[in-house]
Order: sequence, then structure tokens, then C-alpha cells
Amino acid sequence: MKPFGYVAAKDCEHAVALLAQYGKGARVLAGGTDLLADLKFSPHPPPEVVVDVSRVKEMKGISLTDAGLRIGAITTHGEIIESSVVQQVMPALADAAGVIGAHQTRNLGTLGGNLMTCVPSMDSGPTLLALDAQVTIAGPAGRRTIPLSELFVGPRRTSLQPGELLVDVLVPKENLNKPTGFQKFGLRKGQALALVNAAASAWMNDGLFSEPRIALGAVAPVVIRAPKAEAYLAGRPVSEEAMAEAGRIAATEAKPITDFRASAEYRRDLVAVLVKRCLVAALGRATPNQKELAS
Amino acid sequence: MMKLSFEVNGTPCDLAEIDTRTTLLDALREHLRLTGTKKGCDHGQCGACTVLVNGTRINSCLSLAVQHHGDRITTIEGLGTPGALHPMQAAFVRHDGYQCGYCTPGQICSAVAVLAEIEAGVPSHVTADLGAAPPLTNLEIRERMSGNICRCGAYSNIVDAMAEVAGVKA
Ligand SMILES: Cc1cc2nc3c(=O)[nH]c(=O)nc-3n(C[C@H](O)[C@H](O)[C@H](O)COP(=O)(O)OP(=O)(O)OC[C@H]3O[C@@H](n4cnc5c(N)ncnc54)[C@H](O)[C@@H]3O)c2cc1C
Ligand code: FES
Ligand code: FES
Repeated sequence: MKPFGYVAAKDCEHAVALLAQYGKGARVLAGGTDLLADLKFSPHPPPEVVVDVSRVKEMKGISLTDAGLRIGAITTHGEIIESSVVQQVMPALADAAGVIGAHQTRNLGTLGGNLMTCVPSMDSGPTLLALDAQVTIAGPAGRRTIPLSELFVGPRRTSLQPGELLVDVLVPKENLNKPTGFQKFGLRKGQALALVNAAASAWMNDGLFSEPRIALGAVAPVVIRAPKAEAYLAGRPVSEEAMAEAGRIAATEAKPITDFRASAEYRRDLVAVLVKRCLVAALGRATPNQKELAS
Repeated sequence: MMKLSFEVNGTPCDLAEIDTRTTLLDALREHLRLTGTKKGCDHGQCGACTVLVNGTRINSCLSLAVQHHGDRITTIEGLGTPGALHPMQAAFVRHDGYQCGYCTPGQICSAVAVLAEIEAGVPSHVTADLGAAPPLTNLEIRERMSGNICRCGAYSNIVDAMAEVAGVKA
């Protein structure tokens, strides 16, 4: 590693002040599972200063508020898995957290770090996108809230400006308990990046799909939605065949690449299979009343 | 350079001047001469560097030492000594849970944490019933130990050692 300065931020304001002071010369450090690899092995010059936010209380923890479920950016994947609130109102996010790296990495790696690294295969992205999540960003000019979809710009690129900090993620109240499924397919069961991952959410009241959301990872420069598949499902009776067809449509919306891990064709096939499995998992989580109407 | 104070294996440690670049792993090995914790990949992928921080297992190669001011660190040296082995260390010896031994300190730290996590009711993604205490099945052990790679392939003996300490048949 090349030398860099280090400051432990006391709170969000302190972190933002440091980020504003150093501009492009500053890097935020949360769990370090991505940043440490960068600091050790990147050919680029090191940051002037690393701003450690891993002890900023305001950015830690999971809480139900009037607005919905708020998850602080430095909440670890391990804490998400353990959270009884997440298990209850958003189990698909715990599913995703449970397949990120291995247990030791999950105890360090944070939700905010996962979103901010912004690789297309990030496992937290699809579920949160399928639940219309929003993110709070703090900067020198104050705070702003944007839809998560507007955070993702390209591989390893977000819309955050130098001097800005991701504070928390909010899933709006109306989407808590929305039936949702998450699926990941990697080359091994443990410790493998997703060849494809996906999430789907939908209400299934009266035996009909409503407000369906389908999100796909690792098949485009950023995590994307599949609007045609969503439009196909909206208002349609819940059936296995409709779920399979939504998967086939989503596969046409994916823009995967061929690399050493898998071919584009294989990834496309995976999209069809995983989207269907996500919808089946979502149905499994629908309330008994919803399920009865669907059968 | 920075000052760092933390507790390692029950002993308060003050490092008057530590380079901010030092990982927790390098601080333990090179500054405190606790060479039980091993460096395998230095990337977070092998688990050889697993230590417990405030009781939680992490990859010490992925964390800067200066992030651990005030923390309580436990390494393999803190679990037991050659004369007074930790039950997990003794079970690894009995079951031949290693060959070359390079991954072993990380395996044992992880194994101790796994049993504590199970006892605390922490689910994993292979746990079927999230409401009940996770059962310590072969599948649960293998999933929970998936961050500890053993190049010699001692996996089945490691599972046996853990099952013995937990008092179950895996
Ligand atoms: C062995 C291994 C396996 C992995 N497996 C997976 C996997 O299966 N799936 C997966 O999705 N990921 C995986 N990862 C990647 C990584 O662990 C996650 O992306 C993790 O969530 C990153 O969080 P962190 O807190 O460690 O981020 P850090 O390394 O601390 O930061 C990552 C980046 O985000 C920026 N950043 C962090 N927090 C903020 C914030 N609050 N505001 C602004 N910028 C911020 C940092 O500046 C840095 O650029 C793996 C990593 C390792 C080492
Ligand atoms: S040395 Fe840390 S995980 Fe391999
Ligand atoms: S005993 Fe040799 S690597 Fe595990």
C-alpha cells in the first residue's frame, strides 16, 4: 500500500466537512472489504485521506419509522441477516445479505459500501430496486433524497459528487411486507459473485399481480429493471405460466456480456429461470389470503 | 503514523506509532508478534486471517488496524495454550482437522464463532425455519465455514471436530 492520511469521522457533518475539504483526494472507508483491495492493489495513486465512517452512529442500524424501513449505510450484511425486523417485513433483503461473500466478510462489509462500489453483480441492489428504495445523501449543501435507481450510473460509478456521503437507505412504508423473492446464481454455492442475480416483488391481492417490479443484476452496466416483463404481469392472474413468461420477457430485456465466467446466452437463460423462481418465492411469501385467491 | 490502543487476548496493547496503512493482520503479526494468525490471500477470500473482534469473526486482512481503537481482539493465541487447549483446539487435534496446519488458526477461530452464532440463534441462508434455533447439521456447519478454505482438504474432519464440541452428530 502507498501512504495515505486517515481520519475517523465523528459524525456525518464531520465526514462531509472532510470530504468537502479534500474533494477528489478523499475516499470514504466503511467496512473496507472493497476499499482495502483497492488501496493494496490498485495501480492508481492512493487517496490523500481516507475518511473512516465506520463509527458514525447515525449511519448504523435498522429502524421502522413513519416513512418506512430505514437502514443506515454502515449497517453490515451480518446485522441485516440477524435483524428480526428485516426477516419480518423484507426477508428478501436478508436472503441477499446471506449470500454475499462469506460470514467473515459479511461481518465487515456494509450495505452502503455494497451500493457505492456499484458493480453490476452487487447482491443488495436487485431487492432494494424491486422495493422502490430511496437513498439519503449528505453533502456540503445539505441533504437530498433520490430514488436508488438514480444512484447507479455505470460500473463502479454512482451519481454521488465529490464531498458527498451516503447516509441511509429507505424502503417506503407502502412496500413493507410486499411479497418479494431474491435469487442469485454463482459458480459455487459459497463465496462466488453472481453470474446473474434477480429480485421480483408484486402484490397478489384478488389473485392478480399488481405493482410488479423485476430487477436484474450482472446483466447490464448497472442493476436494471425489466419494464416489459413488469407491464406483462400487471393486472394478470397469478399463475406459474405467467411467471415463466415474465422470465422469458425479462431475458429479452437483459443486455449481458460474455466473459470468462459465462457467455451472454447462458446469462440470458439464467435471467428467465431466476425471475420465475423469484416470483414463485414471492408467492410463497404472500399472505394466506393472497395465496388462496391465486390457486 | 497514529497511536492505537486496543485489547488483544485480554491484554491492553498500546502501539505508540502505527502506520495508517497497517492492516489488523499485519499489526498482530508484525507489531505484536502474534504469528498464529496467518496471511493466505490478503484479499478476504481464504479465511486464514480470521480473528474475533468484540466476539464477531472478521477477515483481519481487510481491516485497517487504526479502525480498531478500543476494540477487543481474540486470536488463536487467546483461545488456548499448548498446555491448556481450548475444547475446539483439542477436538481438531483428536479428529485430525488439518494436514499442513496453515489454515487451522483461522478455521478454529471461525469454528468457535460458529458455535456462538448458533447459540445466539443467528440464522444462515441454509436455515429453513427462521423462528427456531438453527440446528447444527452438516449443511449448516459447511455453509457457516465456507469462508475458510483448506488447501489440504481436511473439511470432513473439521466438521467432525466441530460436531463433537457442539455435542451433536453431523
Ligand atoms: C471475499 C469477498 C467476497 C465478496 N463477495 C461479494 C458477493 O458475493 N456479493 C456482493 O455483492 N459483494 C461481494 N463482495 C464485495 C463487498 O464485500 C461488498 O460490496 C461490501 O458490501 C462492501 O462494503 P464495505 O463496507 O466493505 O465497503 P468499503 O470497502 O468500505 O467501501 C466500498 C466503496 O464504497 C465507498 N463507500 C462506502 N461507504 C460509503 C458511504 N456511506 N458513502 C459514500 N461512499 C461510500 C468507498 O469509498 C469505496 O469506494 C465481496 C468482497 C470480498 C472481499
Ligand atoms: S488472508 Fe485474509 S482472507 Fe485470506
Ligand atoms: S491444513 Fe493445510 S490448508 Fe488446511
